[in-house]
Amino acid sequence: MSSRAIVIGGGVNSLVAAHMLSRSHEVILCEGDSPEDGLGWVPPQIARALRLEGLKIEAPDPWAVAPLPGGGRLELWRDVARSAESIRRVSPPDAQKWPQFCTRMARLARFLEKAYLEPPPDPLGVRFALRARLLGRQGLVDLMRLLPMSVAELLDDWFENDTLKGLLGAAGVMHLQQGPRSGGTAFRFLHHHVGSPPGIFRPPRSNLHALLAKRSGVEAREGKITSLLVHEGRIRGAVEDGKEIEASLVLSGAHPRRTLLELADPAWLDPELVRGLRHLRDRGVAARVALHLDRAPGFTTLVHAPSLDYLERAYDDSKYGRISQRPYIEAYCDAQHLVEAQVQYVPPGTDTRALADVVAATLSEQLGDAVIESVEVTPSCQPHQVELALDQALWMRPLPQLAHYRTPIAGLWLCGAAMHPGGAIAGAAGYNCARAALANRP
Amino acid sequence: MRRAVTRYDAVVIGGGHNGLVCAAYLARAGRKVLVLERRERVGGAAMTEEVFPGFRFSVFSYVVSLLRPEIIRDLELPRHGLHILPLESTLTPLENGDYLAQWNDHDQNRRELARHSLRDAEAYDEFGRVLHHMARAIKPMLAMAPPDPTSLHPGELASLLQLRRYFKDLGAERFHALHKLLTMSVADYLDEWFETEALKATKSASGIIGTLLGPRSPGTAYVLLHHYMGELDGVFRAWGFAKGGNGSVSAAIAAAASAHGAEIRTSTAVSNVLIKNGKARGVVLESGEEIEGEVVVSGADPRRTFLSLVGEKHLPSELVESIRRFRFRGSSAKVNLALGELPNFTCLPGRGPHLRGAVSISPSVEYLERAYDDAKYGEISRRPYMDIVIPSMIDPSMAPPGKHVMSIFVQYAPYHLNGGWTDAKREALGDAVVDTLSQYAPNLKGAILHRQVVTPADIERIVGLSEGNIFQGELTLQQMFFLRPAPAWSKYRTPVAGLFQCGSGTHPGGGVMGASGRNAAFAILGAGA
Repeated sequence: MSSRAIVIGGGVNSLVAAHMLSRSHEVILCEGDSPEDGLGWVPPQIARALRLEGLKIEAPDPWAVAPLPGGGRLELWRDVARSAESIRRVSPPDAQKWPQFCTRMARLARFLEKAYLEPPPDPLGVRFALRARLLGRQGLVDLMRLLPMSVAELLDDWFENDTLKGLLGAAGVMHLQQGPRSGGTAFRFLHHHVGSPPGIFRPPRSNLHALLAKRSGVEAREGKITSLLVHEGRIRGAVEDGKEIEASLVLSGAHPRRTLLELADPAWLDPELVRGLRHLRDRGVAARVALHLDRAPGFTTLVHAPSLDYLERAYDDSKYGRISQRPYIEAYCDAQHLVEAQVQYVPPGTDTRALADVVAATLSEQLGDAVIESVEVTPSCQPHQVELALDQALWMRPLPQLAHYRTPIAGLWLCGAAMHPGGAIAGAAGYNCARAALANRP
Repeated sequence: MRRAVTRYDAVVIGGGHNGLVCAAYLARAGRKVLVLERRERVGGAAMTEEVFPGFRFSVFSYVVSLLRPEIIRDLELPRHGLHILPLESTLTPLENGDYLAQWNDHDQNRRELARHSLRDAEAYDEFGRVLHHMARAIKPMLAMAPPDPTSLHPGELASLLQLRRYFKDLGAERFHALHKLLTMSVADYLDEWFETEALKATKSASGIIGTLLGPRSPGTAYVLLHHYMGELDGVFRAWGFAKGGNGSVSAAIAAAASAHGAEIRTSTAVSNVLIKNGKARGVVLESGEEIEGEVVVSGADPRRTFLSLVGEKHLPSELVESIRRFRFRGSSAKVNLALGELPNFTCLPGRGPHLRGAVSISPSVEYLERAYDDAKYGEISRRPYMDIVIPSMIDPSMAPPGKHVMSIFVQYAPYHLNGGWTDAKREALGDAVVDTLSQYAPNLKGAILHRQVVTPADIERIVGLSEGNIFQGELTLQQMFFLRPAPAWSKYRTPVAGLFQCGSGTHPGGGVMGASGRNAAFAILGAGA
């Protein structure tokens, strides 16, 4: 049998999977040219497994800056005490609770962190139960309460200041078609904390994608995969632009729906699975907007989510298919006065002009006298492929039948962000999938 | 000489349906039980009142479906006067003048659905089957005192293992289906099944009842299931209406309790639980009188029980914190109308069988979501969701001959209203309801003889439910099972020895179900009291 493997898709997960396989297989990487924002914590296990050199992780300090009503800024720093000092200026009671909040959240994030670097846990398994127990009483109660909660409820339990709650709450709805008052958003808040030290509630950026894209050992091809070759329930290869490539192993980082319903023949599949694949929720909600300014604006990094109500109202517009009139924006400005903004909620297909106007109006105070010279828009897409919500997470991700990376077609595996643990954990799905596929070798 | 003070085995605070169920089970087991009710009659939120001369209303809760069949059986409630009349249908008038009707008759229902969507008519049976299985999977848990997953006590570990075994035996497919129901939004869940907007909206309405959540918020699918339990135990159309109003449910339970020897004192308000050396010894009435009891059982909601009847100083700070965080956020109101004539719905004119069923004002999921949008920023829904029944059509004794009573359940009317509830706001709510309904039944305004509007603030003031929440606390995942009302205190016990809870603020929650009262009675009897 051939020891050739094909990896489809160019996201960081596919790259990690490809390089994990390259030690034992001849690996062909197809469709490897997808853009990548570099967002996400890089688990040290992956760095070790791939013997990564030159990995750079950005650690902005402060990690978040939000304008305060009436002038001034709320700055949250990597140092918990320094953040508390900053919070004290807007709310002494909140400042007092900050260190304890950070400790309790970090404990829960560490629990997820462990579960994220292996296949999804068995919720009824003894191992999972024991691990949950190790959280201790307080931790276990926190976990059970927090997962189904809305991030608004969680933050209302702890804090009073709107700016602080808006800034933190945004992490609960980032890339999700839900508002902060929707259940399950506290889980998202925690997801974006995984891998970060206590007190930092935004995933970091790294050069992992760029590093792996340059690395040798994997044959990258430009063509597009049009179908998979299956024989007697086993994968035999793939068709790239009409040309057959033989392989005994295919790892697909493409959307599970595309992989199984378009590239493979759905006739292979159980109708229940087909139905499940059709119903996967994968709405894109955040567009990327690049603004070229003629001079520096009043910020280098900015979170525009002044309160939980503000976020909720932004979501309201999108429920009825409209762009948020006052969207939630996270923006970075580089030395060339290029502002990269992530704008939410923006339904796919929104008019570029309308979007640019809304962004300019929303940021007018922060932009000051700067004039926008040009605008580039990347329409909304779902970076998790499949929305990361409680019913599509862990052992349910993307569907219970597919949660362990394998598919009903022997030798065909799924390795994209649609798989456990989802996006914003750079390469973990690819890492878990490659390990499962390698362990399964006959 | 005999002492004037009688000592009871159990003193139950609150004569709501759960307090009465608990008392009846305790009395049945031979305990000497006293029920204390603040108001002049028992029933709590399950009561009938002649609000206007000749017109009788189930003022608060208004239908029966979830009342546990084992309670009806054990307490022989039919013998004590309980008679449940079925509701035959649900009519959803649409904004375009058409309607969607759901009938109890299977074939009729299918034909009607097929008129809107053949696909939905086909999916409907399968949907019913799945929910039925899920409801059956959940059912044994209703009668269970939830184990504490944080405890290392051997008994708790054993029941946890038993629970795990139970889930394993369900099989992966059903376990995952249950997971989905617990974590999804009711709108997303129904989107997987149906395409007819009115059908999805009317079904999803049962997912938002009693919560301050919209149909697109995750966690609401479970409440749909909670309401599906009503269709269990062989009685398909278990959504029914108690003859004589919901007060007769309470009256039947009270009669059963009395028949077993329980004593019931009305117009007797309890001021606090009497605690000596960390143990509950009885209660102190507002009149100053002390009543001794071996155990004290509170049917009041968790906030009232712990923060007002017991008091913080007797409780661990962790529990106090949990109870403070327990969310009530009442969002439901009632409008009760005395009518000179029947409403005439434009979509289905005349006096048809549809008037013997429920009428649901839920034309689309977007309609419900917009109603929620108003409420989440502290306003009354301009166009509220309504669930309407005309009890006098089923039980003519509720109104004078030829006249009718109409009971309208309204959502959303948030307890935390901007500027607070005033008489003007109450009337504004009544107007919003009547105006909205008049669009579907134009003769309604002229038919109204009297109008009673009950806001969440009224429910709190009259019945004593905190923030007017009809479930004694929102039925969301973080407030269910071993977290209801607080971790480690979900088994009807409290940190005060001899003090128990039996209200719907405990597992499994509200809806004139009685399960909390029954489970509490077994916990008390099991504890050897």
